[in-house]
Amino acid sequence: MLAEVMHSLSRDVLEGFAQAGVAIGLCLVVALLCRRFAVHVERETVVSLARGLAQMTLVGLILALLLQRHLLVGGFILLAMTGAAALTAARRAQGIPDALRLSFYSIAAGSGIVVAGMLTTGTLAANVATLVPVGSMIVANTMNACAQALERFRAEVTAHVGQVEAGLALGADPAVAVAPCMERAVYASLLPRLDMLKSLGLVWIPGVMAGMVVSGASPLYAGIYQFVIVAMILAASGITGLVATLLIRARVFSPAAQLLLRPSEPRPVVAGYAGPGKEA
Amino acid sequence: MPTNATTQGILTASAALGGQGIALEAKHLSRAIAGKVLVDDISVQVQPGEILAVVGPSGAGKSSFLRLLNRLDEPTGGTVFFQGQDYRTIAPQTLRRRVGMVMQMASLFPGTVADNIAFGPRQNQKTIAPEQILALLGRVGLPGYKDRDVSHLSGGEAQRVSLARTLANDPVVLLLDEPTSALDDASERGIEGLLLSIIRERQMTCVMITHDMPQATRIAHRTMIIEAGKMVAIGLTEEVLRAG
Repeated sequence: MLAEVMHSLSRDVLEGFAQAGVAIGLCLVVALLCRRFAVHVERETVVSLARGLAQMTLVGLILALLLQRHLLVGGFILLAMTGAAALTAARRAQGIPDALRLSFYSIAAGSGIVVAGMLTTGTLAANVATLVPVGSMIVANTMNACAQALERFRAEVTAHVGQVEAGLALGADPAVAVAPCMERAVYASLLPRLDMLKSLGLVWIPGVMAGMVVSGASPLYAGIYQFVIVAMILAASGITGLVATLLIRARVFSPAAQLLLRPSEPRPVVAGYAGPGKEA
Repeated sequence: MPTNATTQGILTASAALGGQGIALEAKHLSRAIAGKVLVDDISVQVQPGEILAVVGPSGAGKSSFLRLLNRLDEPTGGTVFFQGQDYRTIAPQTLRRRVGMVMQMASLFPGTVADNIAFGPRQNQKTIAPEQILALLGRVGLPGYKDRDVSHLSGGEAQRVSLARTLANDPVVLLLDEPTSALDDASERGIEGLLLSIIRERQMTCVMITHDMPQATRIAHRTMIIEAGKMVAIGLTEEVLRAG
């Protein structure tokens, strides 16, 4: 184990730190430039750079230690990441009942199903070194999808209490009464991922492809594999968005089909609501 | 004479209506949220075909009381009997189809007028025939509005569609939460007359919130006054208002 760590601290690592030093220097120059225009981000920049470098060095060390370990170890790491992601998503989902548990289930469902599918089909190599980085990308994206779905659902329901309760008062099931809110919430959670897919290669070349090309893989294969990863991120986000809205829907109604989620203050009726059971 | 004793109010009204039984009965109905009492131990019986007006100052708990009657909110004390059956034993969706509600704001679903009217029956796996929609629209004074987009309706027209949408479920009891308060005088009188004629024609039981005492006099058999969540008076409308 120690030998692996020592191996990691080889010459290329030292070279990496030197490159990081250059990058840090450039960022500090930009921070100082901002200061000249009364934009004070020096402290935050220094803290962020220090944290970023420390965290990534630590992750690199952990990966170096776990490279040859059993795949289950990678699974546990992803589970821990899912927990951390759920905490972050729940913090962003203000006013949502039971947000932490709900976020955990949603992120675990989206990430878990997709990662398991990728491993089963061989799309993802069954080793820790591949599983953890790719899995963490998927977890991070499902975390954002979860937070976006929850927040959008809450906003949609509280902005359209009148229509939701009109539906209930006409004898509709809660699922029908909030169907447009669900549609919009899931769509909102998917939109950034759809944009990401559309702009792939045109606006940005993501890290996986760049890393593969740098490591000597065929650029064509690297491009196609990157598409696979982003498509899987979209799939995982879709599952997470759906699960999150289904779970929250069950929590915003009482067993007697009464709407429990309400705005803290009366809000005006917002135009453009699709209405229960209708397309947006 | 108006009284805060429910029984006397019922007996008086019962005599006026011929005593046909009870359509809706609130029994010690209460609701409190976070220590704030919204509805405080209200007991009242409403007979078939009766129109009961609920009046009181703003924030007195009138709307809270009405929302308890079709279980849009859950009572924290007491219950409601619908046609003699405790409404907690009835599926909320079934109850709400039988106890229809027209809210202060129309809250129509985007789409056409016909889409809105068809919504209620569709929840009960029923299809409302185009002729029935036309008949309902004719009844609420909106002939030719079937395919209109609801975003182009005036406040009065929207409220008429809201009424037609509720009537499409063929409810036994109609709950009206100040349905004319957001309308101008002309629309208010139009809707009021329409409500009265439909309620009489369908022999519906009706509980109507109003802040307008003359409106209560024009429409309601009995009037109940709520203050700070409590029923402080109930009786024949003219007597209650004369005493108040």
